[in-house]
Amino acid sequence: MKTKKRTSIILYMMVVPMAVLFFIFHTYPFLQGVFYSFTDWKGYGNWNFVGLRNYLHIFKDSNVVTSYLFTFKFALLATILVNVLSLALACALNARIKFKNFLKAVYFVPYMLGVLIIGYVFKFIFSNIVPMVGNALGIEALSVNILGTSSAWIGVLIVTVWQSLAFNTLIYLSGLQTVDKDLYEAADLDGAVGLKRFFKITFPLIAPFFTINMVLSVKGFLMAFDQFMAMTGGGPGTATTTISLLIYKKGFQGAQFAYQSANAVMLFIIVVAISVFQLRVLEKREEKVN
Amino acid sequence: MKKKKLVSLLTVCAMTASLLAGCGNGANNSGSGDSGKSGSSTAKSDKVELELFSTKTENMQTLQTLVDEFTSQHDNISIEITAPADAGTVLKTRLTKNDLPDIIACGGDATYTELQSAGMLMDMSDEVGNIQEAYMQMLYDVNKDGESVAYGVPYATNASGILYNKDMFEELGISIPQTWDELMTACETIKAAGKTPFELTFADNWTCLPPWNSMAPVIPDASFTADRKENKTTFEETHQEVLEKYAKILEYAQNDYMGTTYADGNKLFAEGQAAMMINGNWAISEFKNTNADFNVDMFAFPSVNDAERNTVTSGIDVLFAVSSESDSAQQEAAKEFIRFMTETDHAQQYITEQFAFSAVEGVAQEDPTVASVKQDIADGRVSNFPDHYYPSGFDLASILSQFALNVTNGMDLQENITQTLQTCDEQYDATNVD
Amino acid sequence: MLKKGNRVTKTNWLVTILLIVLAIFFIAGPIYMTIVIALKDPSDMVNVLSLPKKIRWQNFVDAWNMTEYPRKFFNTLFITVINFIFTIITNSAAAYAITRNRKKNKFFKLMYYYFISAMFIPFNVLMLPLVKQANLFHIDNVIGITFLYIVFGLPMNTFLYTGFIKSVPEALDEAALIDGANPWQIFTKVIFPIMKPMHATVAILSIMWTWNDFLMPLVLLSDKKYQTLQLSQYVFQGQFNTQYNLAFASYLLVLLPVLLVYVFCQKWIIAGVTNGAVKA
Repeated sequence: MKTKKRTSIILYMMVVPMAVLFFIFHTYPFLQGVFYSFTDWKGYGNWNFVGLRNYLHIFKDSNVVTSYLFTFKFALLATILVNVLSLALACALNARIKFKNFLKAVYFVPYMLGVLIIGYVFKFIFSNIVPMVGNALGIEALSVNILGTSSAWIGVLIVTVWQSLAFNTLIYLSGLQTVDKDLYEAADLDGAVGLKRFFKITFPLIAPFFTINMVLSVKGFLMAFDQFMAMTGGGPGTATTTISLLIYKKGFQGAQFAYQSANAVMLFIIVVAISVFQLRVLEKREEKVN
Repeated sequence: MKKKKLVSLLTVCAMTASLLAGCGNGANNSGSGDSGKSGSSTAKSDKVELELFSTKTENMQTLQTLVDEFTSQHDNISIEITAPADAGTVLKTRLTKNDLPDIIACGGDATYTELQSAGMLMDMSDEVGNIQEAYMQMLYDVNKDGESVAYGVPYATNASGILYNKDMFEELGISIPQTWDELMTACETIKAAGKTPFELTFADNWTCLPPWNSMAPVIPDASFTADRKENKTTFEETHQEVLEKYAKILEYAQNDYMGTTYADGNKLFAEGQAAMMINGNWAISEFKNTNADFNVDMFAFPSVNDAERNTVTSGIDVLFAVSSESDSAQQEAAKEFIRFMTETDHAQQYITEQFAFSAVEGVAQEDPTVASVKQDIADGRVSNFPDHYYPSGFDLASILSQFALNVTNGMDLQENITQTLQTCDEQYDATNVD
Repeated sequence: MLKKGNRVTKTNWLVTILLIVLAIFFIAGPIYMTIVIALKDPSDMVNVLSLPKKIRWQNFVDAWNMTEYPRKFFNTLFITVINFIFTIITNSAAAYAITRNRKKNKFFKLMYYYFISAMFIPFNVLMLPLVKQANLFHIDNVIGITFLYIVFGLPMNTFLYTGFIKSVPEALDEAALIDGANPWQIFTKVIFPIMKPMHATVAILSIMWTWNDFLMPLVLLSDKKYQTLQLSQYVFQGQFNTQYNLAFASYLLVLLPVLLVYVFCQKWIIAGVTNGAVKA
């Protein structure tokens, strides 16, 4: 319906400056990182190209391999737990309950609080309060600081779930509110109730929200840093060293600058692969259920 | 090549354009550091601002007192102290950023070596006239390639061994153990009396090091450090006994030693919850903060049964280094501050408050709390910290923490020892590159 | 809130009570503990969870002085507010230009994919080179980091805004065009106001991000006078030592501003986040 018109220069001006800045501060460092990953640069002084040496070394380095495995395990469990629990919580908050808005507000509070500080608060709970209660009640398992055991990651997982639940719950809740109530009535007539109704009717309808949450959660948890810094510092031993933590702790040590750059590039490739895979699979499923 | 130039040209252009505003504001906001004496002719233009970065938190108060005294004498200099958690990593981040603090107070360890080998520290050879020769040698030893140039001024030295609750020892009739077997007997006695022999604080990784640092210089051959560097020997061949004894110590520690933090452990020890702690003189000021009347003393860790061979581990706890990137006014001011610190009175004040020993000639530690280790040092029964000579990035603390964790998990001891020492060798090799 | 419909709606008391109990235990519990410890005297820590025998305000005074709270607060506030303002203006403008032209113009299409694909690059990947360039770029201070936040938020915000703008009928633009408005006027006068719900979402997400971020300040803001509230909690860990009352008072001082804002703007915040999820 329109005649072909030149795109106004003003429209370009709305994008180009941001794009230039974005290139300088985001893309350029990224490319630099990729570049460093093929060198033996220490962050200062001379350097040589070393080809793929850094990348090959990653697979032989038990520190890196364990931290990848640990991060995957952590991200997977956190994603599952957060999504299952937040879906349940969202359903509960969407039920015919009293004080609905108040409860919704209360359950959203953790989102407002920084993970680092929450980490410190829970560290205190795990190291001072839980053992005290454990000793008082004579429960062996609770009498030590969980952050000093092989199960330290469970302590961190609890904090992560606690903090992340809020946001995901709210997303699911907004999804549930888009579901037409009449559908439930129809389902009631068909005799679909409880879990069956949930999986047959509710879940397919909120599938797009599930997709958003899954993708965001996985990416977020793969990058987990703050809570580990606050609670375990990667210990005991290297039991809870995530990839982010490893890059931070080792990357600035001269000899490892280029090596950890390679590690960062690996991390990037993995994040992209996982995200793309997820989007593909989840979108396909969405199509199917719709 | 051309492309790269183009990119950098583009970058520079765009940055100049976009950051002009930002920089202008930034300069107003900061008014510090790099401008030094140049340009600004405003009222406070001649004030030299210094940052003193300390890798220890224990000496924060003492440093602050001395800094206050210094700045009250020097109106034109102001000094801000930074002492963050996990200071080593923070310092390395700043090295990467080319943004070193003006004065760095760190130990004579891998952190120093890294800064020195990066060429970021000033030659301080003119400032070390009143420093004891033995400590100068110790400093040269941690220079890359062992070069005999002082890139820092050794200031305070420490002693690591076993800190013990004197009252509790007296009460139980225990005399200071001279040999490994005597130490084990003492532990049995303490345990039989229903008390905890050792308070360990492994929730903070680095506290896994002191037992190792006490035993590693005594049990394997003295030539180990040099031999290992040249790949003539391995940890696995030589450190077996160290870890066996390490595991014994763990048996006598409190229940939750993996989950106790350094801060909490110090407090509990000062409150009389355990008989001994394996740590250094630097922890004493922390005990006194909790319990000013705490009756504590220290003895050399009896690593072996030949009492003559046991030593206190001692090294440079604090040295002052100056960044070679600071401007000349700052460097002068920094040197002025270091001269002030090494004056006899101030060096004395520092070691008195910190229960440390001084590297400055003619300054002696007279506190009875560390009297016995002082004697050991005077008698030459002293070794260097072995970990100060390990390459930077070789994270022994984490390896030992893993070892202790395996012990709590009930892993077979021999398997655990072999695995731990193999990890040591692997990671030593991985980081021992030039 | 009961909805009166033609159907009889019964309150589900079981779920209500369950939710209340869980909220008390899991949400109120930790917050209660934080407040109580922050108010206690160190000698009163034998029973940690009991109410303070005597309230010790000195904890807050000490924490305030020790961490130089006012300066850290204003740094954080500056970063948060400036980032919020500039993000809303620049990112929505960019997203608008992209959305309206990406079908007919290759350049805008390219920009769309450029920004969106950058969503996959986590900060950790850029961290080492960025820190290396910190001096050159002048980003190791409050203004520099604010600038970075504005730029780094772009991918996510473009994604959110474009989703929203798609639902705004182009007829509106055309009507304004006929009235003689140029694209900038169309954007500011017509589109920008319509995007209010999405502005709310973007505002909340970026405010929470910048206020609570830790890693970027950790690696970039080494100068004490530029540090943020979160970072200073980390920096002072060693000096808090076992003075838990002091430490918790300090934590509370960081949490309080957010909690206060939340209490007053709670409805608006929740609506903002919800909108983003539905419209994007």
